[in-house]
Amino acid sequence: MALENLRTLYQQVILEHYKKPRHRGKTDPVDRHQRGHNPSCGDTIDLTVKLNASGDRIEDVKFEGEGCAIAMASADLMADAMRGKSLTEALEMVQSFQNMMKGQAEFPRELRKLNVMQGVAQFPVRIKCATLTWHTLKAAIEQSSEPSAGFISNEASPEGVL
Amino acid sequence: MIATQHRPLAEDLRLDFPILGQEVNGKPLVYLDNAATSQKPLAVLDALQNYYRRDNSNVHRGVHTLSARATDAYEGARDKVAAFINAASRQEIVFTRNATEAINLVAYAWGQANLKTGDEIILSVMEHHSNLIPWQLLAQRTGAVLKFVELTDTQEFDLDHYRSLISEKTKLVSVVHVSNTLGCINPVEEIVAIAHAHGARVLVDACQSAPHMPLNVQAMDCDWLVASGHKMCGPTGIGFLYGKLDLLRAMPPFLGGGEMIADVFFDHATYADLPHKFEAGTPAIAEAIALGAAVDYLNGIGMDKIHAYEEELTAYLFQRLAEIPELKIYGPQPKADGSGRASLAAFTAGEVHPHDLSTILDQAGVAIRAGHHCTQPLHRLLNAQSTARASLYFYNTRAEIDTFIASLKEAIAFFGGLFG
Ligand SMILES: Cc1ncc(COP(=O)(O)O)c(C=O)c1O
Repeated sequence: MALENLRTLYQQVILEHYKKPRHRGKTDPVDRHQRGHNPSCGDTIDLTVKLNASGDRIEDVKFEGEGCAIAMASADLMADAMRGKSLTEALEMVQSFQNMMKGQAEFPRELRKLNVMQGVAQFPVRIKCATLTWHTLKAAIEQSSEPSAGFISNEASPEGVL
Repeated sequence: MIATQHRPLAEDLRLDFPILGQEVNGKPLVYLDNAATSQKPLAVLDALQNYYRRDNSNVHRGVHTLSARATDAYEGARDKVAAFINAASRQEIVFTRNATEAINLVAYAWGQANLKTGDEIILSVMEHHSNLIPWQLLAQRTGAVLKFVELTDTQEFDLDHYRSLISEKTKLVSVVHVSNTLGCINPVEEIVAIAHAHGARVLVDACQSAPHMPLNVQAMDCDWLVASGHKMCGPTGIGFLYGKLDLLRAMPPFLGGGEMIADVFFDHATYADLPHKFEAGTPAIAEAIALGAAVDYLNGIGMDKIHAYEEELTAYLFQRLAEIPELKIYGPQPKADGSGRASLAAFTAGEVHPHDLSTILDQAGVAIRAGHHCTQPLHRLLNAQSTARASLYFYNTRAEIDTFIASLKEAIAFFGGLFG
């Protein structure tokens, strides 16, 4: 088995976040709520966001749902990285993550933990696992203050699957 | 236990499948995703090539030589399919794009004309989305009601529950012959007899049986049967609908256009005789002819032999899977001789998610499927968001099962090891 390839994909950090996620659950209060899924594989993510008083900065992100190690670790790492970020910064990070999945960029020093996901770029069929949570967060941020009841599909949009 | 004295069927036949000779990620390909689609033998690839190199022409519309050749080959393929499932008449075989289109054809043409509010359609909980959504849509259009046969303790079709659901309100029973997820083989003859006793029609989804065992629609007595060519060594883009002659005759057309007409006026038309009434437009000629070649190929081996060899593989597969305590396998266990279920296994492996498993196995050259295999409601019922599935065909070998099991063990160890 090409173990080196697999170790690039399944970095220790990724497996730790999969096994012992720190941000599973629901935020209190729920200022934004968005569900996302990858219909073809059945992965789901249920994202809740707590904002600051003026509603322009993320105080907390939590997730529930089911998916593979890549999807779940990506959600936990994202939740970690999003705390304290303004909505504008958060959207920029979503974009950076997508660029990273195309092998085009990586995160700067203060966000370097997210770079453990870089290995996914070498496994094109798994990219949508990694981007599901980011896509869902983007939809959560871009929605008006009304929490959305439906799912957003990470596969419907071309960037979702890259 | 299953000592194979004779030379395994796959040994020689593998050479007919050029695709199987390749390496994937530096390892010999072990293709175990046959329930999704099978590989194609040279005979089928040649049939496609030869048609386009020598005979390509539109069917039924020309008097020139090529058109006659194309028509003969296309209609010849229909004869082959009819004989393959022992249909009483070649007119009972309608070529479609795939099984899904065949089911939709029945749902539109027959369903729309025959169902009304309060009528009931019985399906099972193990249906592929292809045999669920067309009936949901029909129910929405007509007000008919869907009922679902549940599973027994061994995760098979519950005949008793079926008996309790069926009534004079039941107009249609549509069931899968062999489940693509559970691998169980449903008692279709009994299902049909019970339905007919209540005046209900029966459609059998034979996608996972037609490639693997002899079929006899007359003995089964089903009203319709559907299958996809691409799962039985044929190309994609071609499948078929079998329907009893009188039923197909009584059904209005599905799609309108060329090929399906007898006489056309500006304001109305009369329709062609069967089966052309249901084959509007230029059909998938090359694909149909190549499906005929696939049927010849399968007959050349013998469906009985294929079935018997796959039972041996099933016995060995389950014997080896039993070595891995982390696995939860869905569907019934095979009998000791490997009979009683299809040669496939859908399973979960403890903490290792099916996608991760599939990626890890892919690194070892082993192709398995991960997901809900288009049976999402069944997965929900089984409380599994997704499963991994290895599905075999007659060209697979015990050595490939060994490779699969070894890499499965490695995958579980890889995850388990890193977890500590
Ligand atoms: C049991 C069953 N029914 C129906 C289908 C649908 O076949 P197709 O997509 O070729 O129409 C499949 C294929 O996955 C199947 O396994």
